[in-house]
Amino acid sequence: MLRRRMTLAALDDPRSTFSAAIWLKAQARPFAHDTRNAIALTVLDVVLAIGFAGGLALAIPVLAQGLVGAAPGLALAFVSLVARGGLALMAAKAGARAGQRMKSSVRRMIVSGLFTAAPGSASGLTPCVEGVETLDGYVSRFVTAKAAASVAPLIAIAACALASPISAAILLATLVPFSVGMALAGMAAGEESRRQFSALDRLASRYLDRVRALPVILAFQAETSTETALAQDSERLAQKTSGVLRVAFLSSAIMEFFVALSVALVAVYCGFALLGLLPFSVPETLDLPRALFVLAMAPEVYAPIRRLAAAYHERQAAEAAAPALAALANGVPPPARSQLVAAPTLRFDAVEVRYPNGEIAVRDFSLTVAPGETVALLGASGAGKTSVLHLLLGLAPLTAGQVRVDGRPVADDGGMGGTVAWAGQHPFVSPGSLGHNIALVRPGSTQREVMAAAAQAGLFGDIERPIDERGGGLSGGERRRLGLARALLSNAPLVLLDEPTANLDAASEAALLPMLRNLMRGRTALIATHSDRVAALADRIVRL
Amino acid sequence: MTPFEHLLSDQMGAQRPRLALAAVAGVGVGAAAVILLALSGWFITGAALAGAAGLAAAHAFNVLLPSAVIRLLAIVRTAARYGERVSSHDAALHALAGLRPQLFRGLASGPPARVLGLGGGEAASRFIQDVDALQTLFIRRSAPWMAGAGAVAGVALGALASPWAAGVILMGVAASLAASHRLSGTLGPAGRQRLAAMSGFQNRLAAHQASAAEFRAYGLEAWAVADVMRRAERHDALKATVDIAPARQGLVQMTVTGAVVIGVAFSVQGVELPLAALAVLAAVMGLEAVGSLTLAARDRGAAEAARVRLSPWIVEETQLGASLGSDRPLPAWDGPDLSREARLGITGPSGGGKTTAIERLMGLRGAAQANAGLRSRFAYAAQHVMLLDGTVRENLRLAAPDADDETLWRALEDADLSDRIRAAPQELDTSVGQDGMRLSGGERRRLTLARAYLRDAPWLVLDEPTEGLDAGTERRVVERLAARLDRTGQGLILVSHRPEPLSICERWWTIGAVAATIIPTRERRLLRA
Repeated sequence: MLRRRMTLAALDDPRSTFSAAIWLKAQARPFAHDTRNAIALTVLDVVLAIGFAGGLALAIPVLAQGLVGAAPGLALAFVSLVARGGLALMAAKAGARAGQRMKSSVRRMIVSGLFTAAPGSASGLTPCVEGVETLDGYVSRFVTAKAAASVAPLIAIAACALASPISAAILLATLVPFSVGMALAGMAAGEESRRQFSALDRLASRYLDRVRALPVILAFQAETSTETALAQDSERLAQKTSGVLRVAFLSSAIMEFFVALSVALVAVYCGFALLGLLPFSVPETLDLPRALFVLAMAPEVYAPIRRLAAAYHERQAAEAAAPALAALANGVPPPARSQLVAAPTLRFDAVEVRYPNGEIAVRDFSLTVAPGETVALLGASGAGKTSVLHLLLGLAPLTAGQVRVDGRPVADDGGMGGTVAWAGQHPFVSPGSLGHNIALVRPGSTQREVMAAAAQAGLFGDIERPIDERGGGLSGGERRRLGLARALLSNAPLVLLDEPTANLDAASEAALLPMLRNLMRGRTALIATHSDRVAALADRIVRL
Repeated sequence: MTPFEHLLSDQMGAQRPRLALAAVAGVGVGAAAVILLALSGWFITGAALAGAAGLAAAHAFNVLLPSAVIRLLAIVRTAARYGERVSSHDAALHALAGLRPQLFRGLASGPPARVLGLGGGEAASRFIQDVDALQTLFIRRSAPWMAGAGAVAGVALGALASPWAAGVILMGVAASLAASHRLSGTLGPAGRQRLAAMSGFQNRLAAHQASAAEFRAYGLEAWAVADVMRRAERHDALKATVDIAPARQGLVQMTVTGAVVIGVAFSVQGVELPLAALAVLAAVMGLEAVGSLTLAARDRGAAEAARVRLSPWIVEETQLGASLGSDRPLPAWDGPDLSREARLGITGPSGGGKTTAIERLMGLRGAAQANAGLRSRFAYAAQHVMLLDGTVRENLRLAAPDADDETLWRALEDADLSDRIRAAPQELDTSVGQDGMRLSGGERRRLTLARAYLRDAPWLVLDEPTEGLDAGTERRVVERLAARLDRTGQGLILVSHRPEPLSICERWWTIGAVAATIIPTRERRLLRA
């Protein structure tokens, strides 16, 4: 129960009209086929339970007469049991498949969104990794258990009715208060536990916040006071949670009591009926096999509902995660753009960038860059240099003014994406050879072209040498060169350079300068930097 | 035992009464479930035989005692289940509540470099999810007792019918336990693989997200999505394997149960029928009790993995003590001599090492352990603004836990933030939001300034204190800072590349490879405060 948390964003979501349940159903719909399989297999389980109970009921009364008489019953019981195990395995596989597919679909939407949204919007990491995981249990356990719980108990009772209508009536009579109690407890506990979830989540966020802020806490030597405050919070919450759990456990205890009671009632009824000592007359004559059958079936009537109760928290977890997921799962691939054929003119007119958190990164910025010109944007970190570059890619929100490339306004949904060369501090790496890493930006480029780009960027040596996922196999300087080689290979006539030499020592920076000059020749280029030496490469320097 | 395991076993010890209660209740649950059904079978069969033998036999059959015991067992089982769940969850809740702050302290007293390198995602998975995963260690602690009691009850009831039946049930229990053990053997590595795949996916996503601009520029978003998704799907496949494993085990379990039923049927030949029925049902229920260990095995794998990952984050208490002395020698400092009255301005190009130099001076960097003695001499407002997710008051009190409101307002005044906070409806109790999101960038920075002002330390260290402020605000902040320093007599170390704040410094020191050093103070000196 404790392990479920949701992001703070989910709690603060102002869209109170958002229904997590409806969203989840909509996301599960495309995988209804897989889910239906899992449900069918789960429901079939009760049929085999009937087989097992029937086998026992046939075998036990004739046990004393030797094994030959009991053999058919025993065989039925054995086969039913093994088949039950097999069926449960198949159901688990089908459920897992449905969960896997649903996770994958939602995750793909979120991941796409992360690459198309402006940076600085809510971090999608936690929802994408953990939030999505809750969908698994939702589909593979909750949805299947819920569907099975509405059908399987009735099938079990119907089977009992064939053997002993009175016992079936007893089971049905206890099933009704059981289900009503379950629904009521579920609703009451649901509201209570939602509050509890959010309290737990606040504690978790607070804890996490203090861990993140440790450098400050250390600097102010507030470790002890912070620890004490956290301890008090945790203990208070533990007390409160314990109270909530008591209520939840009490309601489930009452339900379990009905289960145990129904087994006891059926046993006692059958006993008295078989003895012929019932104080009232009943319209059925019971024999031992029938009595044993209903006795073995009694727990099975409630089993699906208990499984549903056990899976209930899967639903709560998924519903808690849903708002954050829904907010992120709206990634749309940017529209394809026509390639720039020649070095373009850039024009920024009284541009303002204001991020959703209210921070104004760029204010009243105007600049015209002629075709083939190189302009360096110089300024301290936080001055908005990168935001200006991001404007051209639609990665920063343009809140005032206009950005034009060759006279056409740059739409803010993708910007010039797909037509620009970019070289930054941390070129991405993909496991594979160096050549593969360069060639990614222009599929279909020849080995010769790749090698030429590498050489121009100052990357010498084996083009086939392997690079791992973290960029192992490349030095810091080489990694920048990889970015330059990509920019050269892409042959895009507009180049954006984001701090191309940051964190390099003076010698490495100096070594990189000729390559940068190489790259900018014949292209329109914007460089965001705070290095005077990089800025000196530009035709013009603009201070931000 | 690692220090972390010590913490864990301390909590285990502290929760012993609750865990013991849970175990006792678990024994009740396990035994009652088996006895209830077996006794019912015995009762029905006996009743059927007696009923068939005629009215006299039926009247001679004792119905009252068995039916009373059956009802009693129903109540015992329910009550025991309630008791077991309440005490095991209580134990888990309180143990985790105790563990969280201890972990925080362990982390806070570790090497500062590690704290600084701890990313948000990493922190979340270690200190929230992994700690939560540990609760299984407490909640599932009663599972073996429950299963054991069920197994013992099954074997004992089988023995009532025939020793052979007991033997067969015992063998079934052993086979089931062996299969369960083998499952946890395979689940361990599979679970670790899954976790590794998950962090592979998480890291890849974080890395690619940082390169979003590059992907966008080249139109490689689809490639990046596919690259991330490949890893996500690898994780999902491993997770499915782990999730399906208990069902796989269930198939083994069912087969064993079926075989045991047949075996018991063999071994009760010649035994009177009610006892035979009792033995068969006891076998079925006893094995079901043992089967419940499968889920415990699955959850234990996750808890063990969490334990392994958390261990390295906690250091020995003894190592801590050694670094807490306040009279330890101060680290060497490349900068100018620092005397109490000094106002030193540090400037130089970005990336030149200004921040690194002052962080080293304050013992926030480089030292193997957090050095409390050194830190007590500095009040620091870092360049990277870092606020607690709490109220303005909470943030300020971090620096001065006992300060009254008047003192807090004064510091806000000096940071030119008092008007803004006074205008907010909740004043000092205004919530700043996560990372100070509800404040503007400039307000956030000024709040960290006010916080640093509040700390009673000989040196005020401000890194880029006016970055992101407009010219008017910058001037006011700098003027009030100068006035405040005159009043308090604190020393100032100010890092900036802007002329305005540097203007109140008496001396400047330029760090960086390119530009010339204004005041070439090269001697290594120890800081005397």
